[in-house]
Amino acid sequence: MAVTQRARTYGDLVVDDPREFRVHGSVYTDPQVFQEEMNRIFERTWVYAGHESELPAPGDYKTVLVGRQPLILARHEDGRIYALYNRCRHRGAVVCREERGHSNFFRCRYHNWVYANNGALIGMAQVSGYPEDLDRSRYGLVPAARLASYRGLLFVNLSPTGPSLEQHLEPVRKYVDHWFGRSPSERIQVILPPHRYEYPGNWKLQAENGFDGYHGNYVHLSWQRVLQLSKESTVESTVEEVQQYRQEGCVRRLRNGHGLLERPGSLNPASSWTARMMHRYPEYAEAMRKRFDDAHLMEISARRNIFVFPNLYLFDTHIRVIVPKAVDRTEVQLYVYALEDVPEAINRSRYRGHERFYGPAGFGAPDDIEVFTEVQTGLAATGDPWNLLHRGQHRERVVDGEVIGHTTDEAPQRSFYREWKRVMSQA
Amino acid sequence: MLSVAEAEQFLVAEARLLDERRFEEWEALFTEDGVYWVPMDPDRDPTDSVSIIYDDRKRLHERVYRLTKTPVLDQNPPSRTVRLVGNVEVEPGDGTGEQRVRCNQLIAEMRPGGPGQAGLNSPRWMAARCEYRLRKVDGRWRIAWKKVVLLDSDQAQYNLSFIP
Repeated sequence: MAVTQRARTYGDLVVDDPREFRVHGSVYTDPQVFQEEMNRIFERTWVYAGHESELPAPGDYKTVLVGRQPLILARHEDGRIYALYNRCRHRGAVVCREERGHSNFFRCRYHNWVYANNGALIGMAQVSGYPEDLDRSRYGLVPAARLASYRGLLFVNLSPTGPSLEQHLEPVRKYVDHWFGRSPSERIQVILPPHRYEYPGNWKLQAENGFDGYHGNYVHLSWQRVLQLSKESTVESTVEEVQQYRQEGCVRRLRNGHGLLERPGSLNPASSWTARMMHRYPEYAEAMRKRFDDAHLMEISARRNIFVFPNLYLFDTHIRVIVPKAVDRTEVQLYVYALEDVPEAINRSRYRGHERFYGPAGFGAPDDIEVFTEVQTGLAATGDPWNLLHRGQHRERVVDGEVIGHTTDEAPQRSFYREWKRVMSQA
Repeated sequence: MLSVAEAEQFLVAEARLLDERRFEEWEALFTEDGVYWVPMDPDRDPTDSVSIIYDDRKRLHERVYRLTKTPVLDQNPPSRTVRLVGNVEVEPGDGTGEQRVRCNQLIAEMRPGGPGQAGLNSPRWMAARCEYRLRKVDGRWRIAWKKVVLLDSDQAQYNLSFIP
């Protein structure tokens, strides 16, 4: 009885009160909620799975989890990438155990069924045990219902119905385009392997935090002290930049659950990374000016943490992928990327700047992870089971059709939970 | 040339500095051009890839400063560690004045806290293959290069801010 009642009321776990937007603690702690999130969000909507540059050549593959389900992304000799369920059609064993690699085929080790990189069944051991007219085309690896790319970013959707990737990304697309624009050819190249960290907490704690501009002065106080120690400008930020962004930056609440945190763009080398790199490397400045006008450069030089619902962040140094493992266990993967067609020194300084803050031994990310575990622990106390996300609700403003808040406001979190509520309330 | 016994004595003393959280003394073991590297993939060039830690001396100083002089969350409460150094090998000198040393390390780590605290109270075990390049400066062996390859270097890690 309790179970059926709960199944009807996931939407009630997010209260869209105009004065006090709040989220029930069980969204982070209830295993049943987690199972339903896997059913309704991760196995029924567009989920980020990788970047095309991870699979440059025919035969390249990587394995991923989409929700709870193992899939293979593989580039076939026809040059196309296929998303295939990693399950032999015969008796169910995975046909690939590696994280990534290169192979001309996938072979099930149980009874030696062999599949091509596009999933086609191309070999069966002791085939005389099957009728001669067996239709092999019926027994290929099953493809995911949908695989789509936006400028090399690969998304999988296990459901054949619902919005197209284009429709899903529409509210965030122009910001994604600007994000590519720091490369004068608007291309990136993922640098392997990714940073990976895991924490004993719910996946949404990471989703809520990447565009949270409220915690920086507290969680990252030690980081600010390190910056003061060296008094240098870095790929990360100068103290002046941090102060400027607190005053002039914003958060954006976008439709479809997307959102972002933004530090304003600038053509002044003292105020933005892009302008600083253009100042330092004339060949970069020349290439950028050839490609973009000043208005464009202003947008490109804005530093944004862009969240794409439900599992993707685009950061200035990396593509961040949230991999839910259990209601209280989450893996996060940070795929650092090179900007194509920029001086080598720019990318190297980006890698060093990334290592300095991010990853399991960086000077910033472990502080965030520490706080996620503190939240997960605190949520066991249910005297008042509600978490508050109404900061700045009274001062949201609409500019060019987008809802904007102060950098420390929780507007993008509200966007996330409105989409969560919508999807989790569906029949 | 360094004997195995001398190398072991040096490595054990280094491990003790880390276990006793004497990070500034540990930092002083490094040469001015010293490098501390904890790769994810030890076969990749750290310059053009991303590592868990790839510190030059300046970054190493920041790391120690952060742990000792700033209000870090991720080391509050601080880690307790116990390190076991073994399988020490010394390679023949190559004429550069640097001495290559290898060892294996087992690191147990735990952060104490109140009841029910996620992430605290349970010891974690890490195993690592380590390589050192030691150089004599003013009559004392110093670390010119230290590489720590965790057994699970390419897997998802929890907090490694204690200096593995």
